[in-house]
Amino acid sequence: MRTALVAILLAATVPAHAENATIRNVIDGFVRPAYADFAATTTNLETRAGELCTAPSQVSLKAARAAFRDAARAWSVAETVRFGPVTEETRLERILFWPDRKSIGLKQVQRALAEEDPTAIDATALTKKSVAMQGFGALEFTLFGAGADDLAAGAAYRCAYASAIATNLAGMAETIASAWAEEDGIVGLWANPGPDNPLFREDAEAMTELLDVAVHGLELVRDVRLGGFLADKAEDDRPKQALFWRSEMTVAAIRADLDGMRTLFEAADFGTLIADDMDWLPGSVAFEFANAARALDGLDGPVEAMLADPERRGRLEYLAIVTSGLSDTIGGKLAPALGLTSGFSSLDGD
Amino acid sequence: MARPGLIDRRTFMAGAGAAFAAGLSGRATAALAGTDALFAAAFRGHDGAWGVGILTEQGKVVHTVALPARGHDVTFDPVSGRSVVFARQPGAFLVVFDHQGRAAPVTIASIAGRHFYGHGVFSPDGALLYATENDFDNAAGMVGVYDASDAFRRVGEFPTYGIGPHELLLLPDGRTLAVANGGIETHPDFGRAELNLATMQPSLTLVDRVTGDLVERHVLETALHQLSIRHMDIDGSGALWFGCQHRGPDAERPPLVGRLKRGDGPDLIVLPDDALGAMRNYVGAVAANRQAGTVALSSPQGNALLVLEAASGRLIARRDLAEVCGLASDGADFLATTGAGAIVPAAGEAVMDAEHSWDNHVLRVR
Repeated sequence: MRTALVAILLAATVPAHAENATIRNVIDGFVRPAYADFAATTTNLETRAGELCTAPSQVSLKAARAAFRDAARAWSVAETVRFGPVTEETRLERILFWPDRKSIGLKQVQRALAEEDPTAIDATALTKKSVAMQGFGALEFTLFGAGADDLAAGAAYRCAYASAIATNLAGMAETIASAWAEEDGIVGLWANPGPDNPLFREDAEAMTELLDVAVHGLELVRDVRLGGFLADKAEDDRPKQALFWRSEMTVAAIRADLDGMRTLFEAADFGTLIADDMDWLPGSVAFEFANAARALDGLDGPVEAMLADPERRGRLEYLAIVTSGLSDTIGGKLAPALGLTSGFSSLDGD
Repeated sequence: MARPGLIDRRTFMAGAGAAFAAGLSGRATAALAGTDALFAAAFRGHDGAWGVGILTEQGKVVHTVALPARGHDVTFDPVSGRSVVFARQPGAFLVVFDHQGRAAPVTIASIAGRHFYGHGVFSPDGALLYATENDFDNAAGMVGVYDASDAFRRVGEFPTYGIGPHELLLLPDGRTLAVANGGIETHPDFGRAELNLATMQPSLTLVDRVTGDLVERHVLETALHQLSIRHMDIDGSGALWFGCQHRGPDAERPPLVGRLKRGDGPDLIVLPDDALGAMRNYVGAVAANRQAGTVALSSPQGNALLVLEAASGRLIARRDLAEVCGLASDGADFLATTGAGAIVPAAGEAVMDAEHSWDNHVLRVR
């Protein structure tokens, strides 16, 4: 147990409120780069959307769509860290309101486009409108939905709306990335548990938050992102309930979610914290993440076609099983090996 | 709706009784006979199996009943001596069981288009069972009504007048149901994902269980629209205490507990900062001790248990306990259960049970 030794050495030099090295590694190795990339890709998206409006063409439309895909991918990597600045000012829902089960958001977007609502193309006014009109869902429809090809020929209102959404996303991404970049605020609180810390009074609470990112992230992938369109029986599948089906980013987003969690695990380096008799655990988690990645390898294109192909559909079913196995390993084995309770009652609230 | 007579339940118990008593071990039978109070709580066994356990007030597990999936709260009918455990949301079953093992457990499935939320209550005469349910395609909270005399056949339903109902209780008048509408929309297509956090509007409603009419509806101030009202109990004065779970930013510290007196608006209780902080924006259970004039609140997220004086709302005790959630009044104090497997009796030593992770609630059944 290397950690025990390290802890003793640190204890001699560092007073109370010692920094939690695992949390620090995860912040520096995963959270900061993930949100910085979200900020960079949405800034690029804002630029490309602006160029599409000033110089509409097939080329600039293609560039805006590519920028959308990059930003959606970056968001999917970062989104599993859903505490701290992303939860303020309803940002989570404003960035991505999904699922839109009763198409309420879609209808609001279509109404704004039909009526050319002037408040929707003003990025500041947009922040006060329905969350469903402000983020990726609305932007995907404007860039990929019915009538989007008109953007290449200069659909001025539609482009201005797309541009306002991109500006709104870039603004939120910048705010969140800046908050994570500072040492004060969420970083200092999460990395330095202590009795007077309002969010994390002890290391166990900070570490539980870390494992919750993975356990909730895996649940999000399985129950929401996959379960949203993949039914028990193929005839009950709901391809148009898949996130990002219009931009054909459904699987790419799931892949990015899992990539993000794998990066989090690598950054956490749990092997250094676990007793020798349990030291197979991090390898087992890495193996399962690799299985998940392999299942999704090359699985892209329209969701409807994917579901119609038994081989490719089977890979999605297999992914659901792998994510369940991973959350069992993390919640049921890794958490106790780290000296944490499994959070049975509190894991997802009731 | 037909009102069954007592004879039905006697027949039920006489018919089903003897066979299942034989299923209990001698030790279990002795424990059942030798204790004053008994409690029931859902659990996950360490072998991964789901069930509901019968506990003595000393914290011993007398026996267990298997469940098809994760259970949540239990309700008890003192007239027939039967209990019902409800599936945790979005579960699709309730199980009727007899804590003395006199009758085989009976599993009832939710109807198409509905699932359970984990809570329910009997009418005072034990004739009807009311359960909070989700009409998920319409995102509408419902109370399902089951005829306890007729194999728990579902005989009707009425609205809770809110989204995402959680706990419901019967008020002391025996006729009015109180419902904590947590305000959170979920749909089984998306597991337990919360679909409307930006616009959620929790409420406390009082509903006439005979007519299904709305009697009172209370909402908190607009700034607290993300404060999900979830659990309740009734103190000795008849006031309804409620505990909340905050779905807004972690950095906010809204009040988490309140009290409603009939005809008045809800009063939110101001807790000392450190006690409020210890709850980590999450009240998992609320229990009143009418004899002692106290109300207890638990937070498995904060590993904390608070006891308030019911009359004043003043904090009188705080205890740190890993993953505490289940609370039941016992004597002058409370019995508590934890997700880590502890049963903490009102008096005496905590019992650590390596076999069971206790779910969020525990209920006295005798």
